[in-house]
Amino acid sequence: MSDNILEVRGIHTFIGQFHILEGVNVSVPRSSITVLLGRNGAGKTTTLRSVLGLTPPRQGEVLFDGQAVNGKRPYTIAQMGIGYVPEHRAIFRDLSVRENLEIAERQKGDLERHIDFIFELFPDLKRLIHLSGGNLSGGQQQMLSIARALVPENRLLLIDEPSEGLAPVIIEQLMEAIRKLAAQTTVLLVEQNFIMASRLADQYTIIDDGQAVASGKMRDLVQDEALVQRYLGVA
Amino acid sequence: MQQQRSTLLMITALFLGLLVFSFLTTDDLGSFGITILSGLFQGMLLFLVASGLSIIFGLMDILNFAQGGFFMVGAYITFAVFHGETFAQLDPNLRFPLAILIATAAGGILGIILERGLLRPLYARPIFQLVLTFGVAIVIGEAIKAIWGTVAYSWSPLTSFGIHQASFSLFDQQFGLYRLFVIGVGLLLIVLIALLLQRTRIGIIIRAGVEDSEMVEALGINVRAVFTQVFMLGCAVATFGGAIAAPFLGASLGMGNAFLLAAISVVVLGGLGSYAGTAVGSLLVGLAIAVVAKFASRPEINQTVWSSITPMILLVLVLLARPSGLFGKER
Amino acid sequence: MPVSWRRTLQSNWFHVLVLLFLVMFPHLVGWITGDSPLGVGGRPRGQSVFWQLIFIELFIFAILAMSYNLMFGFTGVISFGHALFFGMGGYILGLVLEKTGAASEVGLAAGVIIGIVVCGVLGLIIGVVSLRLRGVYFAIFTLAVAEMFAIYIGRWPVTNAEDGFVLSNLPAFLNPARDRLTYYYLVLILMIFTFLFIRRLINSPTGSVLLAIRENESRAQSIGYNTLIFKLLSITLAGMIAAGAGMLQVILTKKVGPEILTVSFTVDPLLMTIIGGVGTFSGPVIGASVLHLSERIFNREFIIGSMSINIGQNWSLILGIAFILVVMVFPQGIVGTWAKWRAGKKTTLE
Repeated sequence: MSDNILEVRGIHTFIGQFHILEGVNVSVPRSSITVLLGRNGAGKTTTLRSVLGLTPPRQGEVLFDGQAVNGKRPYTIAQMGIGYVPEHRAIFRDLSVRENLEIAERQKGDLERHIDFIFELFPDLKRLIHLSGGNLSGGQQQMLSIARALVPENRLLLIDEPSEGLAPVIIEQLMEAIRKLAAQTTVLLVEQNFIMASRLADQYTIIDDGQAVASGKMRDLVQDEALVQRYLGVA
Repeated sequence: MQQQRSTLLMITALFLGLLVFSFLTTDDLGSFGITILSGLFQGMLLFLVASGLSIIFGLMDILNFAQGGFFMVGAYITFAVFHGETFAQLDPNLRFPLAILIATAAGGILGIILERGLLRPLYARPIFQLVLTFGVAIVIGEAIKAIWGTVAYSWSPLTSFGIHQASFSLFDQQFGLYRLFVIGVGLLLIVLIALLLQRTRIGIIIRAGVEDSEMVEALGINVRAVFTQVFMLGCAVATFGGAIAAPFLGASLGMGNAFLLAAISVVVLGGLGSYAGTAVGSLLVGLAIAVVAKFASRPEINQTVWSSITPMILLVLVLLARPSGLFGKER
Repeated sequence: MPVSWRRTLQSNWFHVLVLLFLVMFPHLVGWITGDSPLGVGGRPRGQSVFWQLIFIELFIFAILAMSYNLMFGFTGVISFGHALFFGMGGYILGLVLEKTGAASEVGLAAGVIIGIVVCGVLGLIIGVVSLRLRGVYFAIFTLAVAEMFAIYIGRWPVTNAEDGFVLSNLPAFLNPARDRLTYYYLVLILMIFTFLFIRRLINSPTGSVLLAIRENESRAQSIGYNTLIFKLLSITLAGMIAAGAGMLQVILTKKVGPEILTVSFTVDPLLMTIIGGVGTFSGPVIGASVLHLSERIFNREFIIGSMSINIGQNWSLILGIAFILVVMVFPQGIVGTWAKWRAGKKTTLE
């Protein structure tokens, strides 16, 4: 058994006729937070979606816990223990908060087993439980979206831009929650906000123009101003 | 909130308008009552075709043009089983439910075949799915023609429990008990499907899938399997509609298209993919058909054609005024 | 000049060959069977005249299918109400000829112009109303409008409801029952004209916008094209051409009736386009030929030994099943599959 729960090896993904990923490699060590960095349109979201098979890679390999999952249908990949928190939240607006959580159950009782942990991370959800998803604020929707991924027993969470469009106070709250849940599981995060990423993550991979161009420990990246400047345009 | 209120207002206005118009143009209370009941009857049959159309569209983005064909299949099979040789020995009180059961099961199985065999390979090419269901609708009509010929069948006066012959009077006007029975069954199904959607896990999955089926799949749910189940259910319900309509409408080749077009206007009127919209829309269109038919049957107008055009006029008007329908969301 | 002529001939040798065949066809049949293309015994009879009728019908279907393909194949807009334009063209020509009391030549000219203009405007209105909506709404809308007209006109007393009326006021030179050869060439010329017109249109800058809309409408929009205008152009032109086909049809049968408004005149061009090849120039023509000729040849009772198989009775069923098979297995149709096969062969050779 390898130390890495997720191993992405040289995947090529097309959307329509567009070649989006041109050989991306990502390793995610167990019980860590790994962040994918890179400019807009570099291919970070597509990498997450390729792992889950939502945009199946045409070439390359995706190993989850040592098992090849590329080529499988998204629902089978998810059932192996991957939770997905997409960008723009994608909660079900017509469903109540409770139904939004219930639908994520893979075994009966999943929600009951984890509801205390979920409420501990996001106490707000407790009083919103009967509201419909569409009536929540942006921050509450983001919390619900993460909570939904915590309902079943997931060994890896793919979280796409959780801070997008949210107020700083809420972002703080979310960071706290992600840090707490990373103690129990592994997180692969996409984050544009470099400050947030640098404070959360242990590992990083930079994706540029459909290729993984650098990776390593986050604390080394923070020191390497040239690299940050070159690929991320922030100092 | 604002929109909910305006929707409610619009629905009330439409219903009231129809009722008042009907009240003013019918001669006495009796025929007014009968007109309303006929409208309910029409509305329930429409609901049975339209509900499947709407849910299937919402979930899978397929407008199933073959839905009218399933309605027709239901009527023909029920007719054949009830009047055929095979079960002639059976007591009519048993034969009728059996005929409905066989027809509904056949509709469900045909639905599975259609989804699994023909539509599934085409999910990447939605325009061809549309063309395909259109083609299937033609094939169903032609297959029925090949098996049963072009003559229209009308039901012999016999049905279970004497319900078909029985009638009751309302302000001195006769109304068949069977039609009341159909109204009851329709209402029951409206409630049952609503419960299914609201209270069961598959219902939650369907409602979530209508919004975002990819996300449902990403949660670890086999959405394709749900597609098949929903498609089967939609087809079975439409076939069931044809089956219970058969004692009243008989079985004829034109009925599929007529109901399909009316059901499409129901679905568009209510908002594609909205269950509440479909239920309300069915009643509205059914009522409109009955009211116009009654009005147009007056000797000075004498244009029966108007009632068959009514749903399409409604459809065109709704598409002009509110393209996303009464309960629809802007997409 | 001769060089460019030769190039045109080289790249279009197949079309030129087909054209030569079609021009010679009545005479070829006449030569083989000995029946003059002008008729036998001073009356329009004999094999040549019989086959002219079949080919005139084929040409009319081809024009209708090409108009459908302009919308469906080249612009990606799917309509289930194309019969509306076909039928309306026929009805308007008939009404102008028979109900206005105009002299036959004047009536014909006026009827053709009014019919085409009205159908263009009708297409424009339907388009303006419904093209903003998603594709499926457009399909529904067109189906509903077409059915509405079909039902209403089928009961309209002015046009004798379901019986229709006879065209008796046609000019003498346009009488397919007497002088079929003239009509054969007229319809042939119109079909070639339609073919060239659509090819010219699609190869023009306007055409490339239409193709861009078919591929990805939102991308075409983001490049800065007002896609609505181009889609409107496509459906309006398609409606006008279909109206022309409807007129040729009623002149051929000398009768106007609600059958020309029925959904089968939507289904047929759809089938022909898909079987021939969606979005190809010759696809609709080839689809129309295959479908119409096979219908004329197979649509009858066959007696093999003591067995008699009545294919004619189940003809539409067979067509429907064939249609489904084509959609499933050869979605590119005859022309598309052929082109793909040839391209595949070329690449393996190289």
